[in-house]
Amino acid sequence: MQEIINWSDEFLAGAMVIIQLFFVSLLMVIVWGLLGATAKLSNSRIARGIANGFTVLCRGIPEFLLLLIVYFGSAVTLTNIARSWDPEIRFMDIPPFWAGAFAISLVIGAYATETFRGAFLGIDKGLVEAAKALGLTRFQVFWRLRLPMMWRLALPGFGNHLLSLLKDTALVSVIGVQGILFTAQQATTVNHKPFTMYLTVAFIFLALSTVIVVTMKCIEKYAYRHLEAAR
Amino acid sequence: MTFDGSLIIDSLPRLMDGLWITLRLYVLALTCGTTLAIALVLMRISSKKYLSWPVMGYIYFFRGTPILVQLFIIYYGLPQLEFIRTGPLWTFFREPFFCAWFALTLNVAAYTAEIFRGGILGVNSGLVEASKALGMTYTQTFRKVTAPIAFKLSLPAYSNEMISVLKATALASTVTIFDVTGVARKIVAETFAPYEIFLSAAIIYLVLAWVIQNGVRHLERRISRYAN
Repeated sequence: MQEIINWSDEFLAGAMVIIQLFFVSLLMVIVWGLLGATAKLSNSRIARGIANGFTVLCRGIPEFLLLLIVYFGSAVTLTNIARSWDPEIRFMDIPPFWAGAFAISLVIGAYATETFRGAFLGIDKGLVEAAKALGLTRFQVFWRLRLPMMWRLALPGFGNHLLSLLKDTALVSVIGVQGILFTAQQATTVNHKPFTMYLTVAFIFLALSTVIVVTMKCIEKYAYRHLEAAR
Repeated sequence: MTFDGSLIIDSLPRLMDGLWITLRLYVLALTCGTTLAIALVLMRISSKKYLSWPVMGYIYFFRGTPILVQLFIIYYGLPQLEFIRTGPLWTFFREPFFCAWFALTLNVAAYTAEIFRGGILGVNSGLVEASKALGMTYTQTFRKVTAPIAFKLSLPAYSNEMISVLKATALASTVTIFDVTGVARKIVAETFAPYEIFLSAAIIYLVLAWVIQNGVRHLERRISRYAN
């Protein structure tokens, strides 16, 4: 127990890194998901092909391998470009935090395209027709009708993606992002209590997962507040 | 930026060695995990709280924490405990392959138990009532009615889990196992050619995932040949 208290500041800092990474990735996931779902539902065969290919690739490759590809791939490319300017440069990379956030967002984003696509398909066609009949523009239909309706239908699936996203943030310690797992690795080299340290990490993740589950319950309740009276 | 094709061909034999380890880990973890899941789900749906509550806690822990952390607890963490290091279990827990298998198995069991539970809950209660009316015992009903239908209902979710486990085996490379990802990391460290090697590894995983997905689709079609 004393070991955990000794390292509590570092764990707190690590947790903050994880949480930041989570939210940065989350924003990217929403962008990927919406872009991908729109492309999959579009009439353009090219857009559908690209979106489907993206989904197959990002869901079929292990998250960990994708992370390595993004981080080391970008590092080699950047180093080569930098060397063509200045041969003295030995190594250049994208900050691991951003490479990690990007790689994780690709994986979860690929899953989100399917969830969003299903949710867009779940919208009552009559509503869209009614909105068009009222003279709303395409953008208005999307912004005021499709998006709010879709959001509600996508919530349960999206909640699961958020849990996966949180758990994937553990991976970035491998490329040197100083999250809680990284903290535990450092602590272990000093106090030789790996079991205590890694178990602490597990319980921090468990607590964060619980926060996500509870938050999603509240959001779901809010999304269906108009049906509260009927129930 | 050049793409060196001969490097891929040169490293293929080593990647194939890695593939063998990945496959072994995958098959062992999936079969053992699924078997354990059957036992867990039976406890989970039991009306006796001393059976269902521990399983609920187990599932909650393993689904709420990253596999990488679980793996680190087992491989790096357990040796901290005196009875592991000095006891007979140490022969197993000092082997990275055993630890990776152990972590993946426990993980698969937790997720699969929850999938099977969903399947069991999805079985039409009319069927269960009908079997009771026919005088079948609880065990008979479960074996001949609930379980087969639940299995069929669980298949789509289970096939997703099968793919997830395949992807999770890549984490074994963090505990010094030379599976496909482990071999790829080693070659990249030697040659510093991440695109060629990591993309070859990625293609291996994609092919495996494709084979699994098609296999399950085949099985699904066979199982539901009486429906529709």
